[in-house]
Order: sequence, then C-alpha cells, then structure tokens
Amino acid sequence: MSKVIETSHLCRYFGEGELLVKALDDVSIDVEEGEFSAIIGPSGSGKSTLLHLIGGLDKPTHGEVILAGTNIESMTRSALSNFRRDHIGFVFQAYNLIPVLSTIENIEYVMLMQGVPSSERRKRVFEMLDILGLDGLGGRRPAQLSGGQQQRVAVARAMVSRPNIILADEPTANLDSKTGISLLDMMKDLNVRHGMTFIFSTHDQKIMDRARRLIHLRDGLIELDEQRKEFAA
Amino acid sequence: MLVAKLAFRNIFRQRRRSLLTGLSMGGGYILLALTISLVEGSYNNIINIVTTDHTGHVQIHKENYLERPGIFKTLSRGSGIETLLANEPSVRSWAPRIYGVGLGYGDEKSAPLSIVGIDPVMERNTTSIFGKVREGNYFSDPVNSDGYYSVMIGYGVADMLKLSIGDEIVLISSGADGSIANDIYRVGALVGSRDSYEKMTVYLPLEAAQDFFSMKGKVHEYAVMTSHPSEAWKLTAVLSAIIDDPLVTVSPWQVVEATFYKSMEADKQGNKVTMGIVVFLICIGVLNTVLMSVLERTKEFGVMLAVGTNRLMVMAMIILEIVTLGLLSCAIGFLLSLPLLYWFTHVGITMPQPIDMGGVIYDTMVGEMGAAIFIIPVVIIVGSAAAVSFIPAIRAALITPLDALSDR
Ligand SMILES: Nc1ncnc2c1ncn2[C@@H]1O[C@H](COP(=O)(O)OP(=O)(O)OP(=O)(O)O)[C@@H](O)[C@H]1O
Ligand SMILES: [Mg+2]
Repeated sequence: MSKVIETSHLCRYFGEGELLVKALDDVSIDVEEGEFSAIIGPSGSGKSTLLHLIGGLDKPTHGEVILAGTNIESMTRSALSNFRRDHIGFVFQAYNLIPVLSTIENIEYVMLMQGVPSSERRKRVFEMLDILGLDGLGGRRPAQLSGGQQQRVAVARAMVSRPNIILADEPTANLDSKTGISLLDMMKDLNVRHGMTFIFSTHDQKIMDRARRLIHLRDGLIELDEQRKEFAA
Repeated sequence: MLVAKLAFRNIFRQRRRSLLTGLSMGGGYILLALTISLVEGSYNNIINIVTTDHTGHVQIHKENYLERPGIFKTLSRGSGIETLLANEPSVRSWAPRIYGVGLGYGDEKSAPLSIVGIDPVMERNTTSIFGKVREGNYFSDPVNSDGYYSVMIGYGVADMLKLSIGDEIVLISSGADGSIANDIYRVGALVGSRDSYEKMTVYLPLEAAQDFFSMKGKVHEYAVMTSHPSEAWKLTAVLSAIIDDPLVTVSPWQVVEATFYKSMEADKQGNKVTMGIVVFLICIGVLNTVLMSVLERTKEFGVMLAVGTNRLMVMAMIILEIVTLGLLSCAIGFLLSLPLLYWFTHVGITMPQPIDMGGVIYDTMVGEMGAAIFIIPVVIIVGSAAAVSFIPAIRAALITPLDALSDR
C-alpha cells in the first residue's frame, strides 16, 4: 500500500512570547491508502490543528505535509485548491455550510464545481440523504436545521464527491447513537469497497472501536500511535 | 449558473441593505437619465433653432470666405454646385445667398445696413425665415408699377428710418464691378424682433440683390439642410468630395458657428462634472455595501475556498451580486423614469423668462427620448458599481480559509 499522507516534524505555534501556544509540536505520521484512523486526545491537544494542516487549510510553523507524494508547500494556491476539491473531503467541527444554499445544494456544491452531470449528482445526493436520514429536509436552508442535521449535511457534502481522503473533525459529536452508527457503517463501507482513506478526530467511543489505528495526541505531541491487532488484515 | 444562483440569493439575504443600495442606484439612474435627457434635449433644441434660423446644417463658400468675407469671393450659380446639391440624396434643401453692406435712407434719416439677398422660395424651404415675418407679406407682392422690388426689413431698420409697410427705402452701396449701386425698394414685410440679429438687415430677392451689387449669376453662400444637425460633418465630407474644388470650402454648422458650438461643448463638460458627482456618491454607497457584506461573509468565503472553490469564482460572485442588483435597480429606475421623461419630452418645463433667440422664442425646456438616454445611465451605474466592487471582491478572494473559519 502506498502512503497518501506524510507529515514530518510538523509544528504549529500560535501567538508568541509568553502567549506562545504549541498546538502541534514535532508530529510525524504516515497514513497509508485505505486507512481508517482516529486522532484522539483531550480538548486542546491539537486534533483539529493537525487535520487542518494535513488538508492544506493552514500552514505549519515548521515541518512539511506531503500529499500523494507532493509537498503541498510546493503547490500553487490554485493547484492546492483544486487538489482539495478533487481529493479531500472535509468535515469541519463547526459544520460550515453555505447559508444561502439548501441541503441538497450544499451537498452537491463540490460536484457542481467538478462538473459532475446532473443526473449523477441527483442520484448521489439522494443516496446520501437516505443514508443520513435527511429525507424530507432537502429543501431546507442550514438555518432551518438542527445542529445534528447540519452535521449530517456537512458529512454528506464531504463524502458525496467520493474523494480519496476524508478528514472528519468530530463527525459524530452531535449525532444520536443510532444515526452515528449508520453513518459510521456507511463510511466503513466506502472505506472497504472504494479504499477511501478516513482520518477522524474524535472523542466518540464508537469511532475508536471501529478505527484500525488510534493516534493519541496530548499537548501537541504524539503520545501513542496504536495499530490495533484485531483489525490486522 | 452556480455563481448566478449564489449571487441572486445573497442579494435577497440582506434585504434592507440591498434595498438601500438599490434605491441609490435606481435614484441615480433616474437622475442621470433625466439630466442627459434635458441636456441633450435643450442643446438639440438650441442647435435646431440656430441651424434652422439661418445657418443651415452645412454652408458652401468660396475659400476663406468665412474667415474674411468679401464681396468678390463669389460662387457661380452655373458652376455645377447646384446640380450636385439637387442630386445628392442626403441634401434635404438648400438656399443661395448674397451678403453686402450699404446705407439705407428713409424719409428723413439714413443708417448703415446689412443687405442680404435670398431666393424667397428656396430660403423659405430651408430656414425658418418665413415664420419670423411679423407684419406684411413675405415677398408675395410682385414688382410694382414703378418697377420697385418689395423687400423685407428688420425692426431696427424700421425704427431708425421710421419706415412701415408700403414705404419706400433707398439703398446705396458699391457694386462688385466698382460701380455705385443705388436703388429704391418698397417695404413689403417686417421680420424678426427688436433685438434679433437681423434687426439691421434688409432682405432683397436674390435677383434684385444680384442686380444691385452687379453680381449677375453669382452668390456668396449656399446654406444646405440635411436630415439632422448631427449629420452635418458627414454631409460636409460628402459635399467636399463631390464638389472636389480646392477653391470651394464646405463647412458644417459647428465651424460656421464655432463660438456658439465651443461654448455649448464647454457647458456640456460642466454637466459631466455634475453627473460625475452623482456617480461618485453612488460609488461610495456601493463600496460601503459590498465591503460590509464581504466582511460579514468572511467565514462563508472561507468555507467555499476550503472545499475547493476557485478564487475567481468568489470574485465573480461578489461582482455579479452588485451587477445584478444594479441591473434590477436600473430596470425599476427605467420604469419610473419613463413617464417622467415622456412628460419632459412632450410637455417640458416652461421657462420663467422666455429667451428670444433671433426672433425665435425659446420658452420651454424639453427633454429628449431615445435608446441612448436610457442605456447610458445603466452603463455608467452598473459599470462603475462593478469597478468599485473589484476591491472588496479581491479582498474576499484572498481570504485564507482557516483564518476565516476559526472563531478565535
Ligand atoms: N487560531 C488559533 N489561535 C490561537 N490558538 C489556537 C488557534 N487554533 C488553535 N489554537 C490553540 O491550539 C491548541 C490546539 O487546538 P485544537 O483546536 O487543535 O484542539 P482540539 O484537539 O481540536 O480540541 P477540541 O477537542 O476541543 O476540538 C489549543 O490550545 C488552541 O487554543
Ligand atoms: Mg477540535
């Protein structure tokens, strides 16, 4: 299997002087294609920061991120933007939907930019609505949805374009356990069948139970990188 | 499509702000359309008055006649110019003229006068002179039993020489051949007003003037009319080409009435400054609106960029928003200005103090209707709004996704 993500000596500091926060401090990890991994750790340990750096949304203070063999530092802004559009699905901790678009429009947004034909778009969107229990909410704007519903839309948006890598920041935090499980089953299915790579940040035991690898973060450092035997192929 | 959808929905998101911006653009549209209509309308009106009163749209002379007129600088009626004029389809009408100066004698007094020979029929078809006859008959009386031609005089002549209809007037001058010119005429009509430019003029029928000045078959000027004053330069070029004689000069009214034309153009520039101020005020409003809406939506742009939206698309969306709003506002402004402009064009504003322009009374300021008057303000307003929103649009496109997303 090939490495899809590689970080070496990744550091991200915020502020300076007395207020300096080392959100990440010398983090080096490799992610193989088809992984189903979770970054875990207490609040403030740097999970979101790591996901942002991997997705090229933030720039490291030191160190580098290599995506599919390319150092993202060497990519132009628009190349990185296109790479993100075509290869990475993001689920943000604060769902971040586009307020003027309906559920369906939010979900199909990335596919629209990719030029996916409309029949295919509709098919995939309705599949997602079904899986995530969003039937009947397709025409609503984000402001008319509950937090959990918005989170499901955000998950749908990230996955519907079938990127190779999904970076999901606490995707189940606001879901009831039944919906959480069906979402995870769907992700697992995509992972197994299409070889999509998943990296989560989470506190959710259900995710930890299903993850093949647990990366434990504490104070910006990797405390433990745990490959779980029960999932060994 | 996606850009258009986003832009359109964003307009209806901040209804109050969009409404205010729309009002300023729509109001600006009405203001600009009205100004342009009135300015164009009154200038066209004045140009029409000036050109139809006497000047014509184009004039033909012996070379240098306009710079330094002289009795010897004549064109020969048989030279072929008249045939060319008669055959040129864009010439609507034309009139030959002779100019000279002389002394006029009434019963007791004498006065220096300008003497103008015109062809009664052709002049009447070309300029508004017939309409300016206030007393008597326009060259309708035949040569009387004493062989005296009937002439038309301005009110200044009538006052100074104490003449009225039917009186005799004696003119003295020198002919083109050096002979002394003198003859008796009968006052057939009074023309213009006490302060019109022809108040010290005597109009003679063309043949009478040719006899008087010993200029058989010769004229000083042809005044030519085409369809519209704006066609004058074109007709000048056409006539110069077909006359094709270096000793003959063809001039449009803009050259003949150069002083008038220049002061009018200067006045138009002044109006552009006024319109510029209106546009500037609209631009400030638009800039403010767009900057605010960009600032408020920073996070949203962050999301769009984070999921891989092209930066140009973000820019296009913002500019399209203001362009759409501008077009909507102008459409409403157009509908509202339609009855206003219709009224201005067909009724107009009555001036508190009518202006007498050479016997032609100019008392109503009327507007002008036309595609240009409705389209120019749209182009100005939407164009400058789009230009102004480039700054915030670029700003939005350069947002760093994560900075925008973090609430910290
Ligand atoms: N933009 C920022 N400016 C300053 N400090 C920041 C910024 N972003 C993150 N931090 C700090 O970096 C550290 C790591 O933050 P991060 O959001 O990665 O934590 P997390 O593990 O995702 O926490 P949580 O489980 O609460 O989401 C925290 O101490 C946070 O305060
Ligand atoms: Mg976090």
